[in-house]
Amino acid sequence: MSHQLKGRGEEGGGGMRGQARSGSLGTGDRSRRSPSMKRPHRAEEAPGRRRAQPGQKERAGGSPGSGSPPRKQAERRGRRELLGDRERGSAEKICRGRRKKDGRASLREQRAPSKREKEVRRKEEVWKQLKKHRSSSMASSTSSGESLSEEELARILEQVEDKKKLIASMRSKPWPMSRKLAELREAQEFLEKYEGALGKGKGKRLYAYRMLMAKKWVKFKRDFDNFKTQCIPWEMKIKDIESHFGSSVASYFIFLRWMYGVNLVLFGLIFGLVIIPEVLMGMPYGSIPRKTVPRAEEEKAMDFSVLWDFEGYMKYSALFYGYYNNQRTIGWLRYRLPMAYFMVGVSVFGYSLMIVIRSMASNNQGSTSEGDSDNFTFSFKMFTSWDYLIGNSETADNKYASITTSFKESIVDEQESSKEENVHLTRFLRVLANFLIICCLCGSGYLIYFVVKRSQEFSKMQNVSWYERNEVEIVMSLLGMFCPPLFETIATLENYHPRIGLKWQLGRIFALFLGNLYTFLLALMDDVQLKLSNEETIKNITHWTLFHYYNSSGWNESVPRPPLHPADVPRGSCWETAVGIEFMRLTVSDMLVTYITILLGDFLRACFVRFMNYCWCWDLEAGFPSYAEFDISGNVLGLIFNQGMIWMGSFYAPGLVGINVLRLLTSMYFQCWAVMSSNVPHERVFKASRSNNFYMGLLLLVLFLSLLPVAYTIMSLPPSFDCGPFSGKNRMYDVIQETVENDFPTFLGKIFAFLANPGLIIPAILLMFLAIYYLNSVSKSLSRANAQLRKKIQALREVEKSHKSVKSRATARDSEDTDKSNSKNDTQLTKEGTAHHSASQSQTLDQKAQGSGASSSAGKTVLPASQHLHVSRAPGVRPDSGQAQPQAHPWRSTSGKRAWRPPH
Amino acid sequence: MGSRASTLLRDEELEEIKKETGFSHSQITRLYSRFTSLDKGENGTLSREDFQRIPELAINPLGDRIINAFFPEGEDQVNFRGFMRTLAHFRPIEDNEKSKDVNGPEPLNSRSNKLHFAFRLYDLDKDDKISRDELLQGKAQLLPVEDRGGRLGQCKVLRMMVGVNISDEQLGSIADRTIQEADQDGDSAISFTEFVKVLEKVDVEQKMSIRFLH
Repeated sequence: MSHQLKGRGEEGGGGMRGQARSGSLGTGDRSRRSPSMKRPHRAEEAPGRRRAQPGQKERAGGSPGSGSPPRKQAERRGRRELLGDRERGSAEKICRGRRKKDGRASLREQRAPSKREKEVRRKEEVWKQLKKHRSSSMASSTSSGESLSEEELARILEQVEDKKKLIASMRSKPWPMSRKLAELREAQEFLEKYEGALGKGKGKRLYAYRMLMAKKWVKFKRDFDNFKTQCIPWEMKIKDIESHFGSSVASYFIFLRWMYGVNLVLFGLIFGLVIIPEVLMGMPYGSIPRKTVPRAEEEKAMDFSVLWDFEGYMKYSALFYGYYNNQRTIGWLRYRLPMAYFMVGVSVFGYSLMIVIRSMASNNQGSTSEGDSDNFTFSFKMFTSWDYLIGNSETADNKYASITTSFKESIVDEQESSKEENVHLTRFLRVLANFLIICCLCGSGYLIYFVVKRSQEFSKMQNVSWYERNEVEIVMSLLGMFCPPLFETIATLENYHPRIGLKWQLGRIFALFLGNLYTFLLALMDDVQLKLSNEETIKNITHWTLFHYYNSSGWNESVPRPPLHPADVPRGSCWETAVGIEFMRLTVSDMLVTYITILLGDFLRACFVRFMNYCWCWDLEAGFPSYAEFDISGNVLGLIFNQGMIWMGSFYAPGLVGINVLRLLTSMYFQCWAVMSSNVPHERVFKASRSNNFYMGLLLLVLFLSLLPVAYTIMSLPPSFDCGPFSGKNRMYDVIQETVENDFPTFLGKIFAFLANPGLIIPAILLMFLAIYYLNSVSKSLSRANAQLRKKIQALREVEKSHKSVKSRATARDSEDTDKSNSKNDTQLTKEGTAHHSASQSQTLDQKAQGSGASSSAGKTVLPASQHLHVSRAPGVRPDSGQAQPQAHPWRSTSGKRAWRPPH
Repeated sequence: MGSRASTLLRDEELEEIKKETGFSHSQITRLYSRFTSLDKGENGTLSREDFQRIPELAINPLGDRIINAFFPEGEDQVNFRGFMRTLAHFRPIEDNEKSKDVNGPEPLNSRSNKLHFAFRLYDLDKDDKISRDELLQGKAQLLPVEDRGGRLGQCKVLRMMVGVNISDEQLGSIADRTIQEADQDGDSAISFTEFVKVLEKVDVEQKMSIRFLH
């Protein structure tokens, strides 16, 4: 019985494994895995096992030998029944944990109904008796549906014995105490783990159970990993793009996806903690002046053009700062909305900082742990890149594309590293290019400043045209559209490796955008100051109006006047909402410009090129307009600055993040489509640097820069007197003080006051600096140690390699001997050349002999090939002289190659 | 069907195969049923067309060469024994196999034999060198040595691997680079030792193994 059970167990395992690797050569046909096909296997199990263990007593037990056919057949039939039963049984067992404990009994019960296999059972009894003394564990291990082969078991047995012996003789060993302890612990752990496999009773069942659970756990983890991969959104799209356009383009989309995730969290934060409570529990629209459209705007408030500018009803909605009331608590939950508003505003920045820094750190880790296995880039790609399990033509197409792309990437790297150039000319050109670009930047900065100044004048005038109102946005968008290509044109002067060129380009456009952004911000600040200075007068007017309204004569004093309608109350300009609207508009216009650019610049161009090519006088596809390439730098920076805008604006316009989430979502689909439909891969496809930490660094910078103005406004500008959650307070952060005073016990308030003492804060900051300094130096020394260790490992590996290559050469010779098919004389030659060197001889000597043998043989047989090689060497990759020469020592050669590799 | 497979297979033949390839009894019968299911002509041998019906092989750029590896030189049919001999290269190396019979003949599934199998996929003219031409072009069984200059090659490896969107020139430079990288003795070709060296870090024992059902 035990044997048979084991058979099933093994088969289960085998079947599972077979499923895991479907479509491989030998096991390719799925039908083979059907149960009917499995049957012969178990029939054959018996002799196979017996042969595997010739030393055992099985033969003596009279069990059938290699089995006469008729008998085997009967046996098979019997087991077929058994299999069905057993499988059902095991399923039940999993459901009912208790039965697992008395697995054998339950199995017997299950077997009872199938009457026909008496013979089988008798045989099993024999088996059981035969193997009782040693393999009782097998029954249990198999009863739990897992496999442990005979050999494995024997090995474990041996090891367990060894360990036991070790424990017994530990005392007398001449080892230091620490080692003894360590060994003892290890041995005990091992025993604990494996003794169950060989022991009897409870231990073995426990072991079986544990093994079962371990296997289940592994399987579950694998499934879960698969599931997780499936859950990654847009993974297939991005992989598709990567295989066609290379990793650099894909890196943009990965970044976009990451950004979407971050924004989703921010959206959840703001939406869940600010907007929803306000909408659900705050005062409804129209109840107080700040939540009502003023009388003067009322008739136009629903016009689309007004709404499109986020005026009218949009302005007086929960999307903007001004809508929120300064009531300390709202609703029956007594939700402290102003406090929540403030904290959410702060935590948006906190979360963003944390997540950016964390992902930077994890990227770094990934890049350091990356080994240096790119010694044989091309050979690896050539010999190992095909996935032999691919059986689907579409997948195969993708694989072709990705192999091509990866080859192209490597070619670019190689070309770049072997390029030699006129240093002076290059330097001159680079300086020139930088000069030109700085001129451009200054010009664009001035232009923006000019436009912003003008727009302030326009805003004072009464009826301005659409263009005059949107001049700033239009100019900024145009700059963003035309400057990057200009920079790119200038950058061709510099002749950098595309990867480095991309970084420069990113840096320049970053500077451009930054200049734009900050000019925009300064102008906005001017605006805000203006509004703030007007605020005092408006405040007076409001007071006067209300005062007159309630105290005017001609009204019956006894009846209180109905309150003034909120729409009629004069109110301030609410600079916070104005700022929020500015950002909102900028975001929306930016999005539209991006989409229109893609549509016009990429899609229409592609259509034009594609269809007009039939009736045009020159080749459009290869010639002038051609198809567009995907603009990585522009897109990445657009994304980063857009995010900066969101961070800045989200405090004054809580709805901004929602808009941004929509934007990112649409742009994911839209750009994926646009890339696949109307772009061509870059002429020089290059590999993205392993970590996209450059993007992250830029993002961090933008985050910091966008933190500054927000922090400034919060800390030093007084909030508007009649709108927003902080109205009536001196500064926005007073809300914290208020909460501490009113809601917390007094001693906590004291503690806070104490903590806010500058005498405490300054030492704390100093301490932080010290900590940063310390950690920085520690990390530096660690990385130095890391580099050294890596060097050492490399050296070790080289030594090992040289040993191994001697050995492998010997084995190769062996295999050549056995291989009769290639009976060329060069085999003979090689053998002769090396036969008299023993493996223990020095490696270099051996290699030389080998080399001479091989090269002479090459001279004989491969002559045409090598001649051909010299003639038709392609200009794409120039042969490196150092590479082509014979190298006596492998170490030298690899280290040379390493130095020669392009920097990443 | 399984029963038919095992009855068709004679015991002594099975024994021999077992000895030669190291497969277990059940694996052999299992593979035999696979063999018969592939054998559409039902004559006990497989032809190239039979192999080409396997989708994974049909789509593989090296498919033709893999199929060729099944056939002994100059033959168009392969019997079960030959089939098994080739498949034995892909048998995983088991733990207990490592230690025993060091001095006996090397099993077919040893690391160096696995590598040699892979090597032979690229080495078309069987001169124990992978030359530039062999990477770029060539049909293994059709090309005698002197014919290689002629552009007969229908199944260029690289071309097959990258599809159509790369120029011949670039292909040439890829092949050049590959050989430069691996070549150590300066003969502009990759010998088996050099090939082994390139793939040193690749876990060939694991990658070139198919887990046959027990």
